[in-house]
Amino acid sequence: MRELKHGFKIDADKCNGRMNCMRACPTHSIRVKNGKARLIPELCIDCGSCLGVCPTGAISATTITFAELDRFKFKVAVASPALFTQFGMKDTPAQVGLALLDLGFDAVWEYAVDIELIDRAIMDCVKTWPGPFPLISNSCPVIVRLIQVAYPSMVEQLIPVEAPREIAGRELKRRYSQELGLKPEEIAAIYITPCQAKTISILQPAEEAKSYLDGAVGISQVYNDILSKMRRITSIGDTPKGLMSSGELLHWGPPEGEFPKLSREHYLPLTGLTDVIKVFDDIEKGKIRNIEFLECHACQGGCIGGNLTVENLYVARSKNLHLRANMPKPGSSFEKEVERRYAVEDFSLRGSVKPRRIEGEVVDLRERVTRRKRADELSRALPLLNCGLCGAPTCKNHAEDVAAGRAEIGDCVFLSLHRIDILRTFYKK
Amino acid sequence: MAAELLRESFEIQGRNYDKAGEVSGEIKVILRDLGIEAASLRRLVIVAFEAEMNVVMYARRGTLTLILTEEDVNLEVRDEGPGIPDIELAFKEGYSTASDEMRELGFGFGMGLPNMKKNSDELKVESEVGKGTLVVAKIRLNSNA
Repeated sequence: MRELKHGFKIDADKCNGRMNCMRACPTHSIRVKNGKARLIPELCIDCGSCLGVCPTGAISATTITFAELDRFKFKVAVASPALFTQFGMKDTPAQVGLALLDLGFDAVWEYAVDIELIDRAIMDCVKTWPGPFPLISNSCPVIVRLIQVAYPSMVEQLIPVEAPREIAGRELKRRYSQELGLKPEEIAAIYITPCQAKTISILQPAEEAKSYLDGAVGISQVYNDILSKMRRITSIGDTPKGLMSSGELLHWGPPEGEFPKLSREHYLPLTGLTDVIKVFDDIEKGKIRNIEFLECHACQGGCIGGNLTVENLYVARSKNLHLRANMPKPGSSFEKEVERRYAVEDFSLRGSVKPRRIEGEVVDLRERVTRRKRADELSRALPLLNCGLCGAPTCKNHAEDVAAGRAEIGDCVFLSLHRIDILRTFYKK
Repeated sequence: MAAELLRESFEIQGRNYDKAGEVSGEIKVILRDLGIEAASLRRLVIVAFEAEMNVVMYARRGTLTLILTEEDVNLEVRDEGPGIPDIELAFKEGYSTASDEMRELGFGFGMGLPNMKKNSDELKVESEVGKGTLVVAKIRLNSNA
């Protein structure tokens, strides 16, 4: 099996073992042993819940730096629609676009066309899909990974359509290599991302294909620069023709759903991991029967609530609504471009998403059952307080770790008092 | 029959729509964590849920027993309910004796038993009117990977 990569790293020097990350992780993929946090890579779904809760800032998103971009001859920014909701009510997407150019990008991609194309491709796919239903959106990398890890029987319900950011990457490389006479690999397609999960979908796509994008820069990473450059752009007359001029872009990402054209009876937009998990549990049992398509985002409020955004979700949402109400409808050239590309491009997902193999599966079924029984017995000796002092988030996790030979039962302070003295050495002031 | 690896029983409360689905949820977590492959898991959970719902809708109470062997998963559902007078008819798609209340809640479309049959490799139903029903479903595992 190839090594699993993740969209963040834990700096062992900065880690004080405070366990906030371990307690925040929805898939119980973190253990804190000897005062240091470490990851069980197979269980991590890159949701980023651990990132914001670390009191010492030891967990950081893997994004790329501008220095890394120097190896490219032409750099194009593909900005998540969430970016434009991060600034003041009077700041326009065109100004943000100009600031990105000022920052060193050679072009800012007109992403709205790709979004509209995928919108159409998804609606067509829903219409012709033979089942099983509901289909589930795949643009949020966390949702895809959640299904791989916790809902393996639902992988075939992930919609087999590329994410719009990938289609943008493919098209911009095609277009600029033709226009500028460059090789596609000399052109950088950089996603300005609201979360670290998009980074991992670029580094290691779940469908095991190669991403058309070359990296991601977090919104919070460029926020200050954009803010200061934007305020210096006084004359909007400088705006290159067509740059970020229509509001179409902003349908992608808001919490009320990205598919206003789909019927409300057969389409559910969901945001927030807790809510998504509740609905997935019902789907798995076959309890949800009339829904054809679920649009799912791991972040509460959708992408504008991503963990690399700066603005408060509710303010960002109001900005999104304001922009959509006040920006002009797309012109005929937009429609024409969508028609032209829809006729010639293929939007189906390259590769397929498979359930992720979890570490325990290397042993046979008989051994797995034995371990489960052993874990059940062991957990009877544990206090079921989930204090975390053993280094596992719950007593159940600790029992499973012991049964699998990854931990000692005596790491529980209820079973060996001297464990407190050991812990004291790691946590003394 | 291959040697039994695991046997666990779960109580199902009749008429409790609030808790309906919890037993099949538990079974899913157990079998998922044991690494049962996706296709079998999918069929299993559907069979378990339909069986559980039948108990919830019609019986006072019931028991679902999960029996795992190296080759298959067996679900035995025993209930203290009204029984099924005509089993053959109950297997017809769309045939239902559900009340309006059950239909309001999104159940009772007459797909329960047909769905269970479709998703299991063997399905046996024994029933005595006024006493209860026993449903035994077998789902073969594709591989022990």
